[in-house]
Amino acid sequence: MWTYRTSTVVLGCSQRALRASVQQRLAGRGVVLQRESGGGAVLTGPWLVSASVVVPHDHAWVRGGVVESYRQFAELHVAALAELGVIAQPALPHDVARANEAGATVPWACFGSLSPWEVVNDQGRKLVGLAQRRRRAAVLLVAGTLVGKADWPLLCEATGHPEDEALLSRRTVSCNEMASRPIATERFASVLAQRLERALSRAIGAT
Amino acid sequence: MEVSLNAEAWNDVEAGVEALVDQWLVAQGDTVRAGQLLAKVVLVKANLDIVAPAGGRIDKIVVPAGETFARGKPIALLKEAP
Repeated sequence: MWTYRTSTVVLGCSQRALRASVQQRLAGRGVVLQRESGGGAVLTGPWLVSASVVVPHDHAWVRGGVVESYRQFAELHVAALAELGVIAQPALPHDVARANEAGATVPWACFGSLSPWEVVNDQGRKLVGLAQRRRRAAVLLVAGTLVGKADWPLLCEATGHPEDEALLSRRTVSCNEMASRPIATERFASVLAQRLERALSRAIGAT
Repeated sequence: MEVSLNAEAWNDVEAGVEALVDQWLVAQGDTVRAGQLLAKVVLVKANLDIVAPAGGRIDKIVVPAGETFARGKPIALLKEAP
C-alpha cells in the first residue's frame, strides 16, 4: 500500500520521452518517475492511495487473461469503497469503448479515459485507475484511488496541457466528493489492505 | 519466422483494440537466442514481454517503438539460425 506526502508525476512506460520536459516544468514542485506498467501519467500526492500486488501467473486473479486480470482487483476496491460509504462500480469491458466515445478524453493522463474494470461513479467519472506488468515469473497489478481531489492544475501544467484541467476534473471524482463524511487516505489504505490480505489468502488457498 | 505477441494475450481483449510497441531491446541485424527478451508492448494498460521464439537474427523490425499493431500481426521478422 502506498500513501504520499508530496507530489510526484508518475509517467506510464510509454511516456519516457516526456520525462525531462515534465521535470523542467515542475520547477521544484515535485519529481518525475516512470513506472513499468502502461497507461497515462498519474500525479501522486496526499489525495491518492495506491496498491501494488504481485501474483504468479497461475494465481486465480490473473490466469483468465489480460483484461480478466483486472476484475477481482477492481471488485475488491469497490467493496473497500462501499465499506466507507462510497458507492461505485467497475466499468465493464463491453461498455468502455462507448464510455470513452461519449465525451472527450484526456489520453495522456491515466485518469483521463477509461479502461476495462476501472472503477467509476454512477456518472462514469473515474476514481480508481488500474494497470499491470506481466513478466515471465509473475504479474504485477497496480491501482490508484482518488481519495481526495487531485491537484489537476499541477499535473496539466507539468505535462504541458493546461487546457485539459477542466476536462480532467469532469472525468474524475474523489471518494471525498462521494462520501457523506471525509475519508482519510490512511483509513482507506487500511480498509483496502485488510481486504487484500483476506482475498489473497483465500485465493492462495484455492490454487 | 514472425515475432508476435502470443495469441493467448489477446484472448479476452475486445475486437479492434490494438497494442503498442513500448520499447525495442534489440535492433535490426542483431543476433538473438531463443527466449531472449526482444521488446515490451502495452495492451490494455498491461506491459508485456515479447521474447524470441527461436535463436537467429532480427531480419526486420516491422513495428517500431511508439507504433501500434493489431491482433495477430507480426512486430518483427526473425531469420532462424541454421
